[in-house]
Amino acid sequence: MDQHPSYSELAAFLPNYPRAAGALFQTFNDLKLAQQWTDLEVVDLASCSRGALRGRRPRTEEVLCVIPCSLSESLSLAWLQDAFHELESPSQIYLAINTEDSSIVYYKISPGIVKPPV
Amino acid sequence: MARRIPLRVSNNKAYVWDIDDIAALRADHHICGVLIGTLPHLSQQNVFLGVPLLLMPEEVVLLVDKHLAVLVDDPTAHRHPSVDALRHWNAERAAAAKHQIGAAETKEASEKAAKLSMSEEAIRKRREREERRAAAARAKALAEGEDGNAPEASGSGSRAAPSAPFEQRPSTPSAQATPAYTITLPGSSSDLQWYSSEGCTYESVADAQAAGIWTYPADLHERAKCRVFRDLWEKGNFMGGGVKFGGDFLVYPGDPMRYHSHFVATVIDSPVSTIKPMEIVAHGRLGTATKKAHLFCGWDDEKQEVSYFSIEWAGFG
Repeated sequence: MDQHPSYSELAAFLPNYPRAAGALFQTFNDLKLAQQWTDLEVVDLASCSRGALRGRRPRTEEVLCVIPCSLSESLSLAWLQDAFHELESPSQIYLAINTEDSSIVYYKISPGIVKPPV
Repeated sequence: MARRIPLRVSNNKAYVWDIDDIAALRADHHICGVLIGTLPHLSQQNVFLGVPLLLMPEEVVLLVDKHLAVLVDDPTAHRHPSVDALRHWNAERAAAAKHQIGAAETKEASEKAAKLSMSEEAIRKRREREERRAAAARAKALAEGEDGNAPEASGSGSRAAPSAPFEQRPSTPSAQATPAYTITLPGSSSDLQWYSSEGCTYESVADAQAAGIWTYPADLHERAKCRVFRDLWEKGNFMGGGVKFGGDFLVYPGDPMRYHSHFVATVIDSPVSTIKPMEIVAHGRLGTATKKAHLFCGWDDEKQEVSYFSIEWAGFG
């Protein structure tokens, strides 16, 4: 991992949260290299014991928050509530669910009752 | 104070038997329930169902808590009838049967007469039809005989001939010919002389629970479901069962007959209950495919409040 070109940008967070390091590393590389996100930065999300990501999808203006996690973790509503609180209440967060074969699926989570787009 | 709707409880389930009550529940109180009544002779058919209306337990608790309905212990409300009452009931029934038999006999006689005249008329019409057909065939043979050597490209006479039978088409048999049946159904059992809900009507869920006729909600999960149901209802939604979409409720912004549901809701008992990421994927993905968002409805028993999270597929990755 530490030989990877992305490592330098993640070095401040990976050793702090070793249990979430794999998910953060995979998600960061996926967003940056495969999804071509811009202005990608890592932010501390101490309440969830991990680093989270902020960035923009290609050719869009909105800054999105992404929280990496593993498929085998156990989450809770309180966990989500804390994440929203610490990220200063964005209108939605994206949960990046990482599996062992390094495939990632993203789900949008919005607080409150939010109608799906038509 | 408006009349409270009686919910007839039997075997821990609440039913509504009066169609006016069913209409009031739906139109005034946004409670749909499910019609489950079928025909005694066709109990397998489940396409068209009627009374009674079966309510979800969360609907029952809401209606009673909001003082919109009362719970009636239905088996107890059917008292032992006195001999006189039974005699009276039996005499009434016999009289009704006699009346129906009389009406049926009169009807049968008049129908027989109508049938007879009908058949006479039918014979006359058939004869007319056959004559017309024969005349048309003769005319055709005549025309072909004349023009046998020089076929005519377009003759007004030959065009008119085939259209004639269409104009003369016999009229469609009128509805008079179809038999009509009159079926008299007995009234609901609350009309029986020995039916009395006095002394077995409960105005609160706690009273009904104490009397041993109702148990819901019995634990934290059931309590959470009741409170989430109530909160969604107070926000003006209609709720239906969510099993078709893998949730606890389907949430409609208006009457389900008129609106598409936007949400499948699952109830989460407490803020610290475990949610596996796989549940998020499964619920979220199904919602995307069915144009619905998934709603996690969390109940906090300490704060006594409901919180919501809406889940959708992100659309990338």
